[in-house]
Amino acid sequence: MLRYGDRVRTAAIIPAFNEAESLPAVLAELALTVPDHDVIVVDDGSTDATAEVARAAGATCLSLPFNLGIGGAMRLGFRHAFESGVDRAYQFDADGQHDPSQIAHLLAALDHADMVVGSRFTDSGDYRVGRSRALAMGLLRWMVRLMSGQRFTDTSSGFRAFRRPVLEAFATDYPVEYMDSVEALIVALRRGFTVVEVPVTMRERTGGVPSNRNLRLAYHFVRVLILLVAGTGRRRSPSSLRSAAP
Amino acid sequence: MTGTTHALLAALTVVAVVMILRLVRLQVLKAKYTILWLTVGLVLAIVAAVPNLLDWAADLLGIWYQPTLFLLLAIGFLLLLAMHFSYELSRVEKRVRALAEELALLRRDLDDEQG
Repeated sequence: MLRYGDRVRTAAIIPAFNEAESLPAVLAELALTVPDHDVIVVDDGSTDATAEVARAAGATCLSLPFNLGIGGAMRLGFRHAFESGVDRAYQFDADGQHDPSQIAHLLAALDHADMVVGSRFTDSGDYRVGRSRALAMGLLRWMVRLMSGQRFTDTSSGFRAFRRPVLEAFATDYPVEYMDSVEALIVALRRGFTVVEVPVTMRERTGGVPSNRNLRLAYHFVRVLILLVAGTGRRRSPSSLRSAAP
Repeated sequence: MTGTTHALLAALTVVAVVMILRLVRLQVLKAKYTILWLTVGLVLAIVAAVPNLLDWAADLLGIWYQPTLFLLLAIGFLLLLAMHFSYELSRVEKRVRALAEELALLRRDLDDEQG
């Protein structure tokens, strides 16, 4: 269904905050594995050489003037991808956690879904998390299942692929706060997009620190629970200053 | 109202009104906040100037300890104000985010033009 015209344009969206150290290896590996994909690095207000490193590797780099968080960076990435006519895109980590060899699995599943989530917890995954985080994730899984009637094993995975209609929706409506991935899943399901999960393997991160502190996790967990219970979803952001067309 | 309470209220009023007038004179506040705080200053001044006013109002409402009325009104007012500020702050943050995105996209366009 995506095979119109002569070529499907696919883009990798990579949010990066101070990832100059791990980014070159990630970009080099992407260039080897998927040489025909556009690579969009969203430099989320980095204070190191992230932007220079990205441009040197031939990626498109969008530089935010200050740090907006992964959600804010992704929203900008979606907007750029949509405006530049990309047919499908996937989110990819700058810290080397995601394995480029798994991209093909995600994109294959996109043939019969609007959005694909790469799960770390199904059979082929091999991924461990701490106890409080595991508990929070378990509860979120259960809530998402109650809300959507659909079973997800990994609601917070950031390894995801999206078709153009989802790119358009997320260009203005992507949740910009922390735990964006859980919220984005809810937004996509509420909007009636079909979302499927495929098993992927992931690696240990090569750079950066895990972005989880227990207190912060607890706060955002409560926030997402309220969002789930409130049931209204997010309204369209009225603050789009520029029309969607480039 | 006791003399001590009255003195305290008067002192508070003088400080508040002086600060409000200073801010207004420096023109750092938006018009609506200027009006808001001038009104607050006026109300404080009236209450301080006519001490029996508060006692009378408290008696009317059946409040035994008169300063409670003042505290009640103050807390209610501050609560509403805090809610209003939360709303304004959320709106401003949303706009700042939109501007940051806009800036990143304009930088992209500029880079594209320069090759």
